[in-house]
Amino acid sequence: MRLSVAAAISHGRVHRRLGLGPRSRLDLLRNLVTALVRHERIEAPWARADEMRGYAERLIDYAKLGDTNEQAMRMANFWLTEKDLIHKLFKVLAPRFQPHPGKYTRLLQIPNRDSLDRAKMAVIELKGNPYPPLIRPRCDSEKTLLNQLLKGYREDIQRATAPRAPEGTAV
Amino acid sequence: MAAPWAARCLRGGRDGRRFITTPSASRLASDEIIQMRNELFTKEKKRQLSLYPRIEKIEVKYVGKSHPGSVFVMNKALSTPYNCAMHLSEWHCKKSVLALVDGEVWDMYRPLTKSCEIQFLTFKDEDPEEVNKAYWRSCAMIMACVLKRAFKDEYSVNLIKSPEVPVISGAFCYDVILDSRLNDWKPTKDNFRSLARDAGMLIHKDLPFEALHVEAKVACEMFQHNRYKMEMIKQKASQNTEGIVMLHRFGDFVDVSEGPHIPRTSFCYQYEITAAHDLQTNKSELIRRFQGVSLPIHLKAHHTVWHKLLERSKRLVTEERYLEAEDGSSETKDGTEEGKSVSI
Repeated sequence: MRLSVAAAISHGRVHRRLGLGPRSRLDLLRNLVTALVRHERIEAPWARADEMRGYAERLIDYAKLGDTNEQAMRMANFWLTEKDLIHKLFKVLAPRFQPHPGKYTRLLQIPNRDSLDRAKMAVIELKGNPYPPLIRPRCDSEKTLLNQLLKGYREDIQRATAPRAPEGTAV
Repeated sequence: MAAPWAARCLRGGRDGRRFITTPSASRLASDEIIQMRNELFTKEKKRQLSLYPRIEKIEVKYVGKSHPGSVFVMNKALSTPYNCAMHLSEWHCKKSVLALVDGEVWDMYRPLTKSCEIQFLTFKDEDPEEVNKAYWRSCAMIMACVLKRAFKDEYSVNLIKSPEVPVISGAFCYDVILDSRLNDWKPTKDNFRSLARDAGMLIHKDLPFEALHVEAKVACEMFQHNRYKMEMIKQKASQNTEGIVMLHRFGDFVDVSEGPHIPRTSFCYQYEITAAHDLQTNKSELIRRFQGVSLPIHLKAHHTVWHKLLERSKRLVTEERYLEAEDGSSETKDGTEEGKSVSI
């Protein structure tokens, strides 16, 4: 559940109203969850992706209980409209996320939809997917001015803390 | 005007009493010397410009990752690499520190003289060693300008040179001989702060560094009052075949330089003068080495890191000691590895 001022004063109604009604909303989210499990990276309106995120992560939490668990199987059956994905959920995704306690998805905003309605769009992906990364971490090389200064500083500290005795034996 | 204020700060107790001494012919006041050099520099620059009465065109080819295959038609001896960068983008104007003209490192504000291939160097390149050196050099020159102006007219300040220390040693430095009456003066924290404030004012003015290649004769005329600079000029002139010496000017301060400089003073962002050490030499004069540390606007540091760097920059830096230290560090590294294996 998200914690925010809006959520606090919403008297328990913390969900977005999507689609044509509660049933429609669930169908819509189900389709998104199914697509996410199939493709591992999908593009959707930001609100829908954000709304779906919690359900997708809960589904993976259930999947981690194992395919012998009745509750887990029922959840998988409900949330995945394409039944061939149940196997992928239990055999591929559950082992992949077994060591992680949560936060299985990554949500990134992309430019607004241009064709239709300027909706705020997002890319949501499962972590550990096989695609090339969306954001490449860029760091300065070791030889920039600041990094050189810091390197000198670190070396000084090392020299200060290094024990005197091994110097003789190093020869 | 910062100089009298700083001088008062430096001398402490004397408040406002200023005697106007008549400067002897051989020893001029700092400001007069600076003016004289500035005028000579301007004259020489004009003369060099008048060598090209007609505007001729040269072709400059840009070899870089962005804008492949760009060719600029520039004016000979008039257009600078900065003008080429202006044709490319604002990013190139702001980030370029030096230009690489046919493999030779070139100032951004030094006119191009022939058709060439050009490339721009920034602080965040893969190997920004030349850029770092140029930055250190420029910072030292700013410090020299501040020191030259900081004292009252009656105290002579002789700038010697800026030893080329690597960036990794943690500070840039400039060797200065102060007046013999100041031999027992130890600069305090407040003095350094006032010096750094003067430097900050220079940086805020956003002055361009102008490069000029002159013959040794002209340079000697400029620096006739400073025998250390004269020696340096002679040595530099003997190194290359034509006897050319490189001079740089920002604002009205002229100095002999070892290599290219950064384009503008506003490239400095964090700037601090941190220490002054007495160098032990066999001569009777006391040589002081002023040290400082600075970071460019493209590489800002968090204040905690910055204060650590400041602390480190207070130690005396020398070229030779650094080489020794490098050997020492490799030894200690071996030592630590051994220590680890023992502890495991």
